Amino acid sequence: MWTRRLLIALPIIVCAFLLQSYFWTPTYEQQARLTPERLRHFIHASIGDAEILNPILSSDTASSDVHGMIFEGLIDRDRDLNWRGRVAESWAINKTSYLVVNPDDERSPEEIQNALRDAIERHRDEDTPLAAGLRNIIEVGEVQPAETLTETVHELPPPDEDTDEPPEPEEVTLTIHRPPRIVLEMDEVDQDLDRWLEEVLGEGYLSGFDGPKHIEVSPAAFAVNAARYAETFQPAIEHNPIITFHLRRGVLFHDGVELDSGDVKFTYEAIMNPANASPRSSSYEPVKAVETPDKYTVRVIYKRLFYPGFGSWYMGILPEHLLNEEALKAEAKRRGIPPDEFSLRQSRFNRRPVGSGPFRFSRWQSDEFVELLRFDDYWEGPPEYERWTMRIIPDLVTQEMEFYAGAIDRFGAQPHQVERLRKDPRFQSFSGLAFGYNYIGYNARREPFDDPRVRKALGMAIDIDEIIEYVFYNQAERMTGPFPKQTDYYNHDIPTLPYDPERAKELLAEAGFELNDAGWLERDGRRFQFTLITNQGNPIRLDILTLAQDSWRRLGIDVRTDVVEWSVFISRYINQSEFDACILGWSMSIDPDLFQIWHSSQTNPGQLNFVGFKNERADELIVRIRREYDDEERVRMCHELHELIAKKQPYTFISVGMWTALLDRRIVRVQRDDEGNVIGYKRIVPTITGSYTYDFDEWLKVPDAPVHEP
Amino acid sequence: MTGFIIRNIVQKLFTLFVISVLSFLILHLAPGDPAQIDPMNPAITSDVVERLRESFDLDKPLPVQYVLFYQRLFTGRLTSWKDGRPVLESIWERFLNSLPLFITGTLLTWTLAFPTGIRAAVKRGGKYDRTTTFIAYFLISIPGFFLAYILIIVVVNVLQVPVIGMRTHGLTGLPAVMNRVWHLVLPSVLSATAGIAILSRYVRSQMLEVESQDYIRTARAKGLSEDVVHYKHALRNAMMPFVTMFGMLLPGLIGGSVIIERIFAWPGMGRLAYDALLARDIPVILSLNFIGAILVVTGTLVSDILCAIVDPRVSYE
Repeated sequence: MWTRRLLIALPIIVCAFLLQSYFWTPTYEQQARLTPERLRHFIHASIGDAEILNPILSSDTASSDVHGMIFEGLIDRDRDLNWRGRVAESWAINKTSYLVVNPDDERSPEEIQNALRDAIERHRDEDTPLAAGLRNIIEVGEVQPAETLTETVHELPPPDEDTDEPPEPEEVTLTIHRPPRIVLEMDEVDQDLDRWLEEVLGEGYLSGFDGPKHIEVSPAAFAVNAARYAETFQPAIEHNPIITFHLRRGVLFHDGVELDSGDVKFTYEAIMNPANASPRSSSYEPVKAVETPDKYTVRVIYKRLFYPGFGSWYMGILPEHLLNEEALKAEAKRRGIPPDEFSLRQSRFNRRPVGSGPFRFSRWQSDEFVELLRFDDYWEGPPEYERWTMRIIPDLVTQEMEFYAGAIDRFGAQPHQVERLRKDPRFQSFSGLAFGYNYIGYNARREPFDDPRVRKALGMAIDIDEIIEYVFYNQAERMTGPFPKQTDYYNHDIPTLPYDPERAKELLAEAGFELNDAGWLERDGRRFQFTLITNQGNPIRLDILTLAQDSWRRLGIDVRTDVVEWSVFISRYINQSEFDACILGWSMSIDPDLFQIWHSSQTNPGQLNFVGFKNERADELIVRIRREYDDEERVRMCHELHELIAKKQPYTFISVGMWTALLDRRIVRVQRDDEGNVIGYKRIVPTITGSYTYDFDEWLKVPDAPVHEP
Repeated sequence: MTGFIIRNIVQKLFTLFVISVLSFLILHLAPGDPAQIDPMNPAITSDVVERLRESFDLDKPLPVQYVLFYQRLFTGRLTSWKDGRPVLESIWERFLNSLPLFITGTLLTWTLAFPTGIRAAVKRGGKYDRTTTFIAYFLISIPGFFLAYILIIVVVNVLQVPVIGMRTHGLTGLPAVMNRVWHLVLPSVLSATAGIAILSRYVRSQMLEVESQDYIRTARAKGLSEDVVHYKHALRNAMMPFVTMFGMLLPGLIGGSVIIERIFAWPGMGRLAYDALLARDIPVILSLNFIGAILVVTGTLVSDILCAIVDPRVSYE
């Protein structure tokens, strides 16, 4: 009966065909030894897919992993966290300042010049801050005559109640009548220069200068903004830094076009263009202008002192010739989209980018992999690997399995696996502290969290070492303040908050809480009761939530908990500051700019200081840290700020995580002589921040695990 | 018949319209704002969020957003909020990835379910029947992700070959093609297990029902061989409900299993939908929803027509 035979034969054929494919798939050993191409191919795995391969638009780590290989910025950091030139060969920070000769003062410019010179001479050998500030002035230079300048700014008109039309920016012309100015040559950028000058020239000489009076605003409706314009265009003393970058010659984009100063200027303009909605624009807001005096020179002029601005030039440089207005218009036309609806954000460029980094883009299959190829004309010499692939494997268990099967080259071990995998002879492992921390934040607007003693008591009641041991499997460290622990900004002299429930009880008693008959803490007849919240989907935070609740209950505090879905958590609770206490985490960068998280001006709805931390000294330090160009001084101020925050305990700082990455033992750093011949292999050595991929361009997998010299 | 089809289509177009309005409204009532790509990133300030809202049309009234949305969907100009790609393009790409998995899974389900089910019905009450019953219920009740992990761990540890994703990187030519088949094996087996178990039970009960009919007794009484009785007379009549089930396969084209795709890092439809939901990527969610609705509606239409064709007793006049 043929029907019967068919019914039996069909499944057998299907299964046999499927199973025979096993014999075509290479095993772990075959992948490493029999396929030479596989050794020149680095495969990396990521939990999520990249979103947009454009350094000025991306906001996720997978994207930055990829575009970090394709694009390159003007500068980056070397092994010891010092700045090093990439596309820029060298740079200089201009230290010239300009002092306005106050027209309301009787003294002539020459008299002011002499007064300054005298003062510098007089205080030369003193040991006071004023003397140090004046010694910093190398030369009191010439007097620039008075001049009249015009500047154009774009400004939104005041909102009109009658129409719903979104307001269009208008052009505002500023005519600036600038009084004579004295040139001061400085040794260092000094944010307190105005203070020293006032001391010498008399109080009110600088602060009394009426800048807005010397600016004509047209149309006159915008004259209300005159004070703001004066801050930028007519300050009493202009010591806005100017960074001059000298670009390397012969840096090529992957399509062979040379990278020049126009591309740098274009990248800056693209970031600032509102149509592109770049999430990075706030770092570039203090830039007044980017000028390109010639093909290989870029001058960045700042509106004010802003040290974090320098670091922002790590930003990958975009190719102007592929993305300028004409190119975008042509693309919009080709794809049949009205050009006014079309911006950089919609461009296909973001899915097949062209940069100037060591790898060039090859292929991107959404949610499967992104593949890059070696760029042979890279200015520093091509990398050793021929191919770089990022595979998207959303599940950590299967990622681990793929690592064991040899189909990915790097695996980030989970805390509970670290002990076991570190000892595995097949792998080499690297560990380091993360740039981020977990904390419990208290809403300081609400009682009793406005009292630092209460916040401290709550922190002391939790056994954080226990959390680190059992929740993090010892793969975390304690921390005391908001700076990355592996940088100099972190103040290591501050002791961690001890676990001391008895002292916590005393502190709460000092704050006015007493145990009532039912065993709850009470103040003025009201029970100490609050809700601790965190977001769904993070098991570690959930564990901390449970442990904290338990510790606090033992003191007699009635703690309720709530776990909320992420977007609701952010929009309803955090952004509105509608919470008592929350468990969250911050990620940090190396640069210590704490303005958005800790400055008192950032406590409005939707801003990041949602715990409402307000402290005058902290505000002052935060602003001064931003304006300080001297490394030692900045470190000193960060230490003070760190101490202050640790004292006030606006957060209970829980821990900073430790990551461990595993690589196949056969991956080494190739060493070559000047002719390009391989002269040996070296072990991979991480930098002081733990970045082991620093030398990635030298990496290669070799067929047999080499024995390294000690 | 033609009248029936036309009436049916008009009715279904109306259903689609209602679905489009309802799903649009429900998604806009859900909390969370897609403009908040990364609310915990200090670099994203409130005016950046405002600019993003504007560029996504979120500042316009709801009916305008509705019209703009479906206008863009039908002209193919709709783009994702998350990555800015045209929605139809990414759905098509995912469809092509899901298709092999869907075909292999369906092939395994349908080819394996029939022989097992028929044999169980023929030998009802015997050892074979009892064993397959046990296995079927076991496969139905075991969670798919658990079975998947067990299978992956066993295969990787015993065979030392990669099984995750659509391919092993670094191969070319015929090995690369066969390697892609290998990567299909585990996910399609897993996505077929529950299907095989359920369908084989269904085949068994259909066969049993038909076998107890009078015309089967007549066939036996005529002296026909057992094979002819089972495979010609019984099977043909038992097939009837399965023909209409073909129509219902259609929505499966866009379904895809989120769990299997996540575990196997398979860039299919299920993950596209799931990630879009998490990211509040409303254009993608609504498009998938709408295409899904079209497929379900078409599927029922095809089922109705097939049913009318194979079963002469059904009439639509």
